[in-house]
Amino acid sequence: MFLHNFKYTFKTLFKNKSLIFWTFAFPIILGTLFHMAFSDIESSEKLHTIKIAIIGDSITEEKKHYDTFLSSITITEEEKLFEINYTDEKVAKKLLDDGDIKAIVDLSDKTKITVKTSGIEETIISQILNDFQKKEFMITTLLENKVKDENFDYANIDSIYQQLALEVSNSNYLNIEDTSQKSMSYTVIEFYTLIAMACLYGGTLGLTAINKGLANMSSLGKRTSVSPTRKIKIVISSALASFIISLIGLALLFLYTIFVLKVDYGTDITSVIILACIGSFAGLTFGIAIASVLKTSEITKTGIMISVTMLGCFLSGMMGITMKYIVDKNIPILNMINPANMITDGFYSLYYYETRERFYYNIISLLIFSLIMILLSVNSLRRQRYDSI
Amino acid sequence: MIVFNAFKKILWSNKVMIIIYTLILVLFAGFNSTDDKSQMNFSATKPDILIINHDKDGDISKSLIEYIGNNSNLVDLENDDKKIADALFFREINYAIFIPSSFSEDFENGKNPKIEIKSSKDYNSSLAELILKNYLSTASIYRKEFKGQELVDIIEKTLSNSIEIGMTNKLDTKKLSELADYYNFANYSLLAGCVFVICMILTSFKNANIEKRTIVSSINYKKFNRQLLLSNALFAFSLWLIYIILSIILIGKSMLTVHGLLFAINSLIFSMCTLTIAFLIANAIKNKEAINGIVNVVALGSSFLSGTFVPTEYLPDGVLKIARILPSYYYIDNNNLIKSLEKFDFKNLYPLIMNTVIIIAFALIFMAITNFLSKKNRKKARL
Amino acid sequence: MGNILEIINLTKEYKGIKAVDGLSFEVKEGEILGLLGPNGSGKSTTINCILSLLTYQKGIIKIFGEDMEPNSYDIKEKIGVVFQDVAVFDELTVEENIDYFCGLYISNKDTRKRYVDEAIELVNLKEFKKFHPKQLSGGLLRRLNIACGIAHKPKLIFLDEPTVAVDPQSRNSILDGIKRLNKDGATIIYTTHYMEEVEILCNRIIILDKGKILASGTSAELKALANIEEKVTVEVESFSKNQLAEIRKFTTVEEAEYKDNNLTVIYKKGKNNLDKLLDFLKKENVHYNSIFAERPTLNDVFLELTGKDLRD
Repeated sequence: MFLHNFKYTFKTLFKNKSLIFWTFAFPIILGTLFHMAFSDIESSEKLHTIKIAIIGDSITEEKKHYDTFLSSITITEEEKLFEINYTDEKVAKKLLDDGDIKAIVDLSDKTKITVKTSGIEETIISQILNDFQKKEFMITTLLENKVKDENFDYANIDSIYQQLALEVSNSNYLNIEDTSQKSMSYTVIEFYTLIAMACLYGGTLGLTAINKGLANMSSLGKRTSVSPTRKIKIVISSALASFIISLIGLALLFLYTIFVLKVDYGTDITSVIILACIGSFAGLTFGIAIASVLKTSEITKTGIMISVTMLGCFLSGMMGITMKYIVDKNIPILNMINPANMITDGFYSLYYYETRERFYYNIISLLIFSLIMILLSVNSLRRQRYDSI
Repeated sequence: MIVFNAFKKILWSNKVMIIIYTLILVLFAGFNSTDDKSQMNFSATKPDILIINHDKDGDISKSLIEYIGNNSNLVDLENDDKKIADALFFREINYAIFIPSSFSEDFENGKNPKIEIKSSKDYNSSLAELILKNYLSTASIYRKEFKGQELVDIIEKTLSNSIEIGMTNKLDTKKLSELADYYNFANYSLLAGCVFVICMILTSFKNANIEKRTIVSSINYKKFNRQLLLSNALFAFSLWLIYIILSIILIGKSMLTVHGLLFAINSLIFSMCTLTIAFLIANAIKNKEAINGIVNVVALGSSFLSGTFVPTEYLPDGVLKIARILPSYYYIDNNNLIKSLEKFDFKNLYPLIMNTVIIIAFALIFMAITNFLSKKNRKKARL
Repeated sequence: MGNILEIINLTKEYKGIKAVDGLSFEVKEGEILGLLGPNGSGKSTTINCILSLLTYQKGIIKIFGEDMEPNSYDIKEKIGVVFQDVAVFDELTVEENIDYFCGLYISNKDTRKRYVDEAIELVNLKEFKKFHPKQLSGGLLRRLNIACGIAHKPKLIFLDEPTVAVDPQSRNSILDGIKRLNKDGATIIYTTHYMEEVEILCNRIIILDKGKILASGTSAELKALANIEEKVTVEVESFSKNQLAEIRKFTTVEEAEYKDNNLTVIYKKGKNNLDKLLDFLKKENVHYNSIFAERPTLNDVFLELTGKDLRD
């Protein structure tokens, strides 16, 4: 009877189009969307050419070197940092208003920058000009200081100035050591939440299979309940069939994310597999708990399962990676009971950490979560007679 | 009334899902607006820097920290490798600086003591590095000529000599950004929650048996359809109203301005558009179980592609081009336009109006397709 | 012939309502027992209690002479149930569905194959073997539902309203199938609110209302309970109040009424009722179009006992 039910559960689940959609197709579609949306996010953190305007009339003889300096900065060998538009104040204002340029540089007497809003590119412009002005100030200060010296060699003032200028512009403090880790690509979190979601969605399989074995939930359940097959056999064989199908779905998702989307799961593949299996088990027990505890239609149960999973994934960073950090830091309890975060955090710790404590902590959390779900379900699963059906 | 009562019943059985999607929106808005400072003058983008100082009494160290503090947000964190690593990974901090003990003394004596840093390796961390190097390079030139307090003073004088920056935008960008973020996010909540529930309601009404019964029932078909549409519109409207009230509670009185009004109008038009999306999906999909899937793909798909979760400026151009086929794109574009709207003249409002027209056009197209499909279905049902 | 099922004083209360109220009856081997009653009279609840799906407050339930408990697997092996709702897997074909449910009883593959084929034949679904439930009409679906419940050749079969919303053709096929099952040795308990069905099918009928037995016996015994012998309906274009009063004076007439061009006369026991009425109409020169004469139905019995219609 065990194999008989296992075989048929496997068959019915595999032929259930909406379930297969949730466990197989949906994560892959979503992964592709992530890939599309996030492919640029890290590279866009790099510098691009910034459009500015300099008020042409303000470039006087003394300020000419500012212009020379600004137009000489490059990002790469071909790409200049600034694309400069020389124009009058009125046109410049309009360009700024329309968002065609990021800043207006006015060099008359005191250097002044006008920007529309605060932003990264605006900051770069001000930083660079500040630095330039600072260096000019330093050379003057140093020269003044030298002049105070009685033995100052006035004849060579030009060469002393040149030398100071060289010294100032070459000055660099070299002894800074970067000890941070190399893996810093935080968009991987998105894909980890995706795996977490797939693990939990796998639970909809268990939900459906168990729902069909409970007399108080479905008419199919009444049929199985009046048969001489023991309930425990039905429950365990159905759960096993659902578990195996959700693992197959998960395997496909891993292959897709690794080979097509090139997601980095770190180097410890065994641990990745263990985490995925335990995560999927947690999803299964979650689905069983929803099936056996809530008394409502199967569609509503699936709807609840899906939206609760979405909430969990949201809190673990699916709709904005920083959400995970904010929750971890401010309301840690929320993510401590959130199975989606346990899975996401497990992958994160494998990717980013050298030690394994955090990983084991997540594994144990998932097991405790599963145990609680099983305990919640047991009472209702063990019942054979109901007050109403 | 019969239609409306049945409607209420089905709505009630789907309450959990409405609550969850609304909760997601509330959590998003709550976490997004953590501090209340408004921003109306230029402030340089400030990297978040953690400084672990082992040179407590050094003058140079103090001055260095003060300078960094003026140009960045100093973040206070425990000196714990794991916490620092997490903070860097999730960009809570962009840069961590570890000042060794007796740094000031060694530095003044011409040595170059090693400073350890950790960085998140992004734009903000380069900015942080610039700030650190700016101070150190300035100091290392001056230290040959000046000593002690004189050295500290001259460094500070040099570094405080900065360029004047004017900002033309007089909007409270921070509050408006929060509002725009909130309404951008509402795109997801509306699409996932509202569309799902309406689809469930419509398919329940369409359920083969019920449909036959309603076709022959005393209420005629048109009247029945009108009542159903009205009930759903009422639901979408109520949900929109709840979102508006929530935004006032969560973000505050900046919602009670012309900008707020524009956000509200934009989201109202969009929620009516979601209503037509729901009608379309419910009419095109027969299988009730498939609806959940379709709605989620539509909701998450349009949200990711049109800039709900990832701001549009970070999205690749290719994705944005694809997004133009989605009404969400125009809704979010409108939110972003409203955010930076300074003058309410025709020239500035024109793109807003154009986007709105496009959203309404989408709604009309969806309605036309729905009508076509439901006519076809009804003919089939009669056969 | 022994008692296959014995129920003594079964009482089921839920949320303060007595759904089954001190019910006692027994079923003998080879019988087809009809449980007749309107919707909500406690038919399904009784069956679900017998099957140990529901808790109940009082009562003894014995099947094949043994107490029925959720773990009475020996008993469960020998019973088959067809529930009111169609309970089949949409994802499986007709054949697979029957095989699945049969497999919960029979592990031997060859026996099962034979049983499944026989069940398919019994309900006439041979040409639909490879169809999925979604492709079947309501009547065919009901037949599949029955096949799933009886494929394992149970000795005792419960059929809970198996013909709800079924076209006449399928209904006849279903009723024939049930008769065949009975002929092959199965004892059957059949619930319905269609009185015609129990009249055709059942050896014995129990009429239930509000969880209590109102009456039981064979169809003829029950009809004897009704105080009427015959009901005659005549379509006449006009009929005066005086004429109506005349008719009421006939010795065997219980009640006479004229409404919407129909004259209805209900008779107590007696002979030649119709002749007398026709003579009267001729004498009065009343022109009539059609005449129906009806014997009492179980509905009349129910009406008599409760004052309401079976199908309310």
